[in-house]
Amino acid sequence: MGIINNLKEFLLEQSKKDYTPYLILSVPLLFLVIFLVWPLGMSIGKAFVLRGNELIFDNFTFANFQRFFTSSMYQRSLRNSFVISFSVVFFTLLIGVPMGYFVARVEMPFKKLILSLGILPIITPAFVGAFSWVILLGKQGVVRYMANKVLGLIGLSLPPIYGLFGIIFTMTLTYLPFVFLLSHGAFKSANPLLEESAMIMGASQSRILRTITMPLILPSLGAASILVFIRAIGNFGIPAVLGGQQYVLPTLIYFRVNGFWDLNGASAIAILSVIIVVIALTIQKKVVSAREYETISTASSECKLHRHPFIKTIAIIYCSLVLLISLAPQITIITMSFFRQWIGFLPTGFTLENYKIIPQIASKAIKNSLFLATSASLLTALIGTLVAYITERRRPKGAILIDFTVMTPFVLPGIVVSVALLSAFSSGPINISGTFLILMISFVVRRTPYVFRSVAASLTQLDEALEESSTISGASWYYTFRKVTFPLILPGIIAGSILTFATLLQELSTSILLYSAKTQTLPIQIYNAVADGDFGVASSLSVLLLVTVFIAVYLMNLFVGDSASSGLKLG
Amino acid sequence: MCPNIIYKDVVKKFEGKETVEALKGVSFKIQQGELFCLLGPSGCGKTTLLRISAGLETLTSGQIFYGEKDITSIPPFRRNIGMVFQSFALYPHMNVFENVAYGLRIRKKPENVIKKKVTEIMELVGLPDVLRRNPSPTALSGGQQQRIAIARALVYDPKILLLDEPLASLDAKLRRYMRAEIRRIQKTTNITTIYVTHDQEEAMAIGDRLAIMNSGLVEQIGSSDQIYHYPDSMFVANFIGKMNFFPGAIQEVQGNNCKIKLDCNQKILDLFYKMNQKRKQEIRKGKKIVLGSRPEKLTVSTDPEGGLLPGQIRIIQNLGKVVRYEITPLLDSKSKLIEVDMEEKLSGAKEGDTVYINFDRKNTLLFSGKKAI
Repeated sequence: MGIINNLKEFLLEQSKKDYTPYLILSVPLLFLVIFLVWPLGMSIGKAFVLRGNELIFDNFTFANFQRFFTSSMYQRSLRNSFVISFSVVFFTLLIGVPMGYFVARVEMPFKKLILSLGILPIITPAFVGAFSWVILLGKQGVVRYMANKVLGLIGLSLPPIYGLFGIIFTMTLTYLPFVFLLSHGAFKSANPLLEESAMIMGASQSRILRTITMPLILPSLGAASILVFIRAIGNFGIPAVLGGQQYVLPTLIYFRVNGFWDLNGASAIAILSVIIVVIALTIQKKVVSAREYETISTASSECKLHRHPFIKTIAIIYCSLVLLISLAPQITIITMSFFRQWIGFLPTGFTLENYKIIPQIASKAIKNSLFLATSASLLTALIGTLVAYITERRRPKGAILIDFTVMTPFVLPGIVVSVALLSAFSSGPINISGTFLILMISFVVRRTPYVFRSVAASLTQLDEALEESSTISGASWYYTFRKVTFPLILPGIIAGSILTFATLLQELSTSILLYSAKTQTLPIQIYNAVADGDFGVASSLSVLLLVTVFIAVYLMNLFVGDSASSGLKLG
Repeated sequence: MCPNIIYKDVVKKFEGKETVEALKGVSFKIQQGELFCLLGPSGCGKTTLLRISAGLETLTSGQIFYGEKDITSIPPFRRNIGMVFQSFALYPHMNVFENVAYGLRIRKKPENVIKKKVTEIMELVGLPDVLRRNPSPTALSGGQQQRIAIARALVYDPKILLLDEPLASLDAKLRRYMRAEIRRIQKTTNITTIYVTHDQEEAMAIGDRLAIMNSGLVEQIGSSDQIYHYPDSMFVANFIGKMNFFPGAIQEVQGNNCKIKLDCNQKILDLFYKMNQKRKQEIRKGKKIVLGSRPEKLTVSTDPEGGLLPGQIRIIQNLGKVVRYEITPLLDSKSKLIEVDMEEKLSGAKEGDTVYINFDRKNTLLFSGKKAI
């Protein structure tokens, strides 16, 4: 009898507890394990066996990595990736920091316009930028044509854009906004009292800049640098369009998979590129963490602006020049989309044909893109939100591990994610290669960090007492989540989801390995049109893509105001 | 009738890199309908004890009872309690009515009951007019938000009310007004209430009884009067108000009189003591003690004959009600500043002058081993 009574009591006790959170919150974790951890593990495993061999310990080999010692093509790719990524970080800092300083600290007109135009290059698909530079600086590019007319007089000529120089040039312009926006924010929000007190103690302007201002914005620059580095090393579109004979790691992976269906070799290359990213991250953390300072007081006043006419003139000329060059791709493709060809000085053959044939040739790709981006964004929103809730509110023992896992795809090149998914799901019991499902999963895995960050930020700002007070009033976990937590973090969810939607519409580096004839997306069609030399159609499709992305980003700005760039930051 | 609250050996450890023992075994009882204050410096464990009472933190060991019922493992949403947070925690996405009605909606009350109860409770907290405009709580002043938070916590007739530094975010004047309001509302509803604060004046003004906490333990429980006049320990004596301490030794005991020799100048002080009889047997000749005296029980004079201890005036602060003299003792360089509150300014004494401190013989306390005797 005693046992039965004890059991009764135990059951009664258990029924008082609330198990819904455990049920609901385990779903996203399961998703991460199946579609991120497992594929990455499979990919790592495959890197150590040869193609066609079973994944068992007896087949263990370093052969896939040996190519980096034997093949000059592999060595060149590795070197190219290194050179390109570090140069792009260097040049974006060199050009972006002064621009950020000017816009933040010099009195000049149209600041808002400069800021909103400045963000355009990031929301333009990178490969679109690349091919527009082909139009301008390619073998028969208009700018090169003119420059050579002038340079020809003194016996010089401008080389075409193909190769390392072109890749670095285009990537620098593409990723410049990260440095510009983040350094602008840092310069603007710096505590003016610190600089003023240095001035009162007798420090000169340049000394203040050197000893006070720059050290304090260093963490922001570190964050911007790593952001640029990760994107530069993972970018597929730009080297694919401009690389010519010069391979980089992502194009090498593509070559390996597309040419030989050698996922094992591709995995080995992927591991190497991830190692490089990890090294860069470690350096950044080392440099920044030693110089990270607590803000002691929260200054509400703003820094004084330079009003000297000389500085103003320099700032205005500098900013307009940078803007003009970095917006050249947008202007070019819009112009190009209305013409048949552009060889020499002016485009020729005005036409609306490029737009008229869109429904005929691209309606499937547009439909696919919209379907995939929408469904993946919704799923991303759901998973990102729940994972953020788990790490921010439940704080289980392995919270850091979950945080780390969900953020991994943020630093993984897109093509690495697709190699991993193919390693796990292109053969064996679950074969989903070539389906919408694998594309959708790759999109979700790759973009969950965006929603995760965005929602985690909203949750940190949300006073936990709001939820606690609801619990005390007698609400169950689900009731509290529905009535209090969810409505209050909704802006963060929407902002993260729209950003996800906008980036997924232009996703190329993940989908290039995963698409099939059935699932071709708009960026892939543009990429193929560029490869075929059909610049007119490529331009009109790009304009369509640009406009859609622009509207999405505009909508997001309505929701989150000025902090749009915060969603792009790496914590 | 609201239940009492009983704590039995409550221990709370926060595991982490360094395990922090926030509560080291707390046992006491809060009476039915009592307004009970938890008071202590920051980090003393008072907020942890409140959050444990609410169920927001689980305890490492020990038990908590609401009346007869052991509620130690009952989750907070099944405890039927009300709580007011320091930040008020009003929902910014709901209007005032919905904020107050929240707990009633959870309890699935019919619309007409909700309306009636919300109106009643808003009248009780003195904000009947706010419902007419029914704005977002963010549009209200701090004092109004405070009242809404109280209304929201009380509307569903909880058994126990918990208040976590509810006045900390209000300005000084409003704070004094609201604490009287909170006491009025508590006495009207007669709900068992725990009130956490670090402000000793607030605790003394509002609480029926107070518990003074220090580093995870309860130092003393009692009414404001008891605690102020008969502190159990040097910590309590100096936490509730200010107390000056002078080391010395008992020279002679005669009935209720005893003579104390002060260490600093070997002068003899003839005391008549009436306080804290608990450890009376410890008052015996030769015992080392610490003599404690509140600033208002000390006097200073410019006349060397008028006082026992010479000292130099460091700062004179005129506080309106009293004039506070901070005095550096001249004979003993080790001892701390002595604070003396005089009702009137001492004519002819200015900062830097030497004065003589005298004791009120009937109003000093004796401590030994940090505890009162």
